[in-house]
Amino acid sequence: MAPLIEIRGLSTQFRLPGGVLKAVESVDLTLEAGETLALVGESGCGKSITAASIMRLVPPPGRIVAGSILFKGVDLLQLSAEEMRGIRGNRIAMVFQDPMTSLNPVFTIGNQVAEGLRIHRDLSRDQAEREAVEILSQVGIPAPRERLRDYPHQLSGGMRQRVMIAMALSCRPELVIADEPTTALDVTIQAQILELLDRLKEETRMGLILITHNLGIVAERAHRTAIMYAGQIVEMAETSELFSNPLHPYTRGLLASLPEFGAPGEKLSTIAGSVPDLKSELVGCPFRERCPICLEACATHAPGMKEAGAGHAVRCLRAP
Amino acid sequence: MTALLSANNLVKQFPVQDGLFTPQRRLTAVAGIDLELFAGETLGLAGESGCGKSTVARLLTGLTPATQGSIRYAGQELSKMDRSQLARFRKEVQMIFQDPFSSLNPRMRVSEIIAEPLAIHRIGSAAERRQRVASLMERVGLSGDQLHRFPHEFSGGQRQRIGIARALAVSPKLIIADEPVSALDLSIQAQIINLLQELKGELGLCFLFITHDLSVLKHLSDRIAIMYLGRIVETGSRDDVLSRQLHPYTEALLSAIPSVDTRKPRRRVIARGELPSPLSPPTGCPFHPRCPYAEELCGTVRPELIEKESGHLAACHFSGRIYRSPSSF
Repeated sequence: MAPLIEIRGLSTQFRLPGGVLKAVESVDLTLEAGETLALVGESGCGKSITAASIMRLVPPPGRIVAGSILFKGVDLLQLSAEEMRGIRGNRIAMVFQDPMTSLNPVFTIGNQVAEGLRIHRDLSRDQAEREAVEILSQVGIPAPRERLRDYPHQLSGGMRQRVMIAMALSCRPELVIADEPTTALDVTIQAQILELLDRLKEETRMGLILITHNLGIVAERAHRTAIMYAGQIVEMAETSELFSNPLHPYTRGLLASLPEFGAPGEKLSTIAGSVPDLKSELVGCPFRERCPICLEACATHAPGMKEAGAGHAVRCLRAP
Repeated sequence: MTALLSANNLVKQFPVQDGLFTPQRRLTAVAGIDLELFAGETLGLAGESGCGKSTVARLLTGLTPATQGSIRYAGQELSKMDRSQLARFRKEVQMIFQDPFSSLNPRMRVSEIIAEPLAIHRIGSAAERRQRVASLMERVGLSGDQLHRFPHEFSGGQRQRIGIARALAVSPKLIIADEPVSALDLSIQAQIINLLQELKGELGLCFLFITHDLSVLKHLSDRIAIMYLGRIVETGSRDDVLSRQLHPYTEALLSAIPSVDTRKPRRRVIARGELPSPLSPPTGCPFHPRCPYAEELCGTVRPELIEKESGHLAACHFSGRIYRSPSSF
C-alpha cells in the first residue's frame, strides 16, 4: 500500500533581490495513515515552508523548484490549480499557529466552519450548520449552537484554536498539518488542545504532521521525528530512538541545551553561533561552523542522508 | 535583613468601558500582592497570560501607578520620593523586555541605544561613555565592529544582548526581566540564560524574572512565586515550589509542561476549562472552577496566602491533599 504521503527531493526557493534563498532543500518524508510525524527546527529552518509546499500555498516569490509530493500515489505538484482546490481543506487540511490572524474577523464562527462543508461536501446552508454544531461540540466547545453566531474576537485564544481545529477537521481530512498549533497558548490550555488532537487522530485514523520547536511536545506526541536545519532534514528516526540515541551534532546540541536537563544554577550547554544565511551559496555542511566535531572534509563535502540503524537516518559525515 | 524592593498589598485596577452608554467596569489586574526582593537573589514570578505578572513588573518599576498599596525601594516609599530620589531609583532599577524587536529604537545605532541611559543620567564624559559602551558590548558577547549598526541588522538573540547591555549601562542593582527569553529560539535561549546567570554572579545583581516557562525558572531562580488571576497563590524556595508544591494550580502548571524525558513517572493533572475573565473573577478561591480538589468551601471562602511550611506559602484550603510527585521536573 502506498504511504499516505511521500515527499521526494522537495526543494523550494525564494528569488530575492539579494540572491536565491533555499528555504527547503531536497527534503524526503513519508507518513502513514494514523501516524504523527513531528517536524522540528528553529525559526527559518524551513519547516513551515515544507508545510506550505505540501498545501501548494508557498507565498510568492517562493517557488517549488524540484521534487514530488505523492498523496496516496498522486503527485500534488502535477495537479491543476482546480484539482488542488478540491484537495486542499478537504482531504489535506491545515491548522495554523495564530488563530487571531488566520480566522476572518468579519465573519461569524458558524460561517467560517460551514464554508468548507458547503464548498467541498456540497451541503445546504441548514445541513452545513447542523454539521458545524456537531464538529464544534466534538472539539470541546461548550454551547456550540450559541457560538455559531459569535465573531472570533468574542472567543478566548484556546477556544479560537479549537475553532481552527474544527475547521480543519470539518471535511474529515486524511492528512492534517498543524503548524505550531499550541505555541500561542498557555501550557494548561496547550495540554487540552494536544489531548484533543490525539483523540481525534485515534478516532479518524488521519495522519498528522506536527510542526513545532517544543521538544517536550515531540517526545510525548510524535511517532517519528524529523529535525530540520537550514532547509534540510538532518536527522530522522522513531521519536524514542531519536531522543535516546541522537546522532547529529545539531540534535545533540538541541537536546543538551534544554533547561530541563541542566542542574539548577549551572551553565546550560549551548550551540555556539547562529544559523547561516540561506541566501549565500552554502558549500559543505551548513552546520559546520557551529559544529563541535566538524572535520576538514565538512567544509567541502555536503553530507547526504545515510542509514544509521532501522528507520534512523542522519546527514553527517561523522555519523557511524 | 531588609528587602531591597518590597511591595505591600499592591492593587492595580484598569477602567474598562464596553460602550458609550454602559456603566464603566473595573478590571483588577493585580489584586493585592506582597513581594520582597533581597539583594543578590533572583525571584521568579510565573503564571499564564493575563495573570497580571507583566502589570506587576510595570508597577514595581514605577511605569504604572498603583491603585492601592505601597512599594518601598531601599527603605523609601516610591510615591513619596523627591526628584533626586526618583532619579536614583530609575537608575538602579532597570528592565529587560520580552520582545527584542520592538523594544529597541530602529532609528538609533547600537552605540546610541546603549549610551542613552548614560546620557539621561549624565554619567561620564563623551569619551568615558564610548569606552563604557565598548566594554558593555564585549561583556554581553557582541563584537566592537558592530557598534554603528542598526537593530535590524541583528538576530533576535543579539538584540536581546543589546537590551541587556543597555540595562547594565548605568550599573543597576535590580533588574526586572519580563519574559526575556520567550521570543528566542531554543539554542539561543540557553546562551541568554547563561549570560544572565553569569552577570548575576559577577555584578551581584538582584533579579525579578517574569516568565510563563517554569523550566527556565528552575534554572535561574532562588525563590519562586506563582500568580493566578492577579494573586500570588504559592511562593517559597525554588525546590519547595517545584518539587513539593502546595497549590493545585502549581501542580497543574507543572504537570502540563511537556517533558522530553518520557521515562520519568508522571501524573497528569489537567486543569479543566479556561482562565476566567479578570472582569468577573469567580467567588471564593479564584482557581476553584478548574480545580480537581475543589469542595463547597472553595466556592465561597477565598483562602488567604499563609505559611504552610517554613518559608513556603500557599493559598489553598486543601493543600494537604496535593499529590507530591517524587521526581518532579
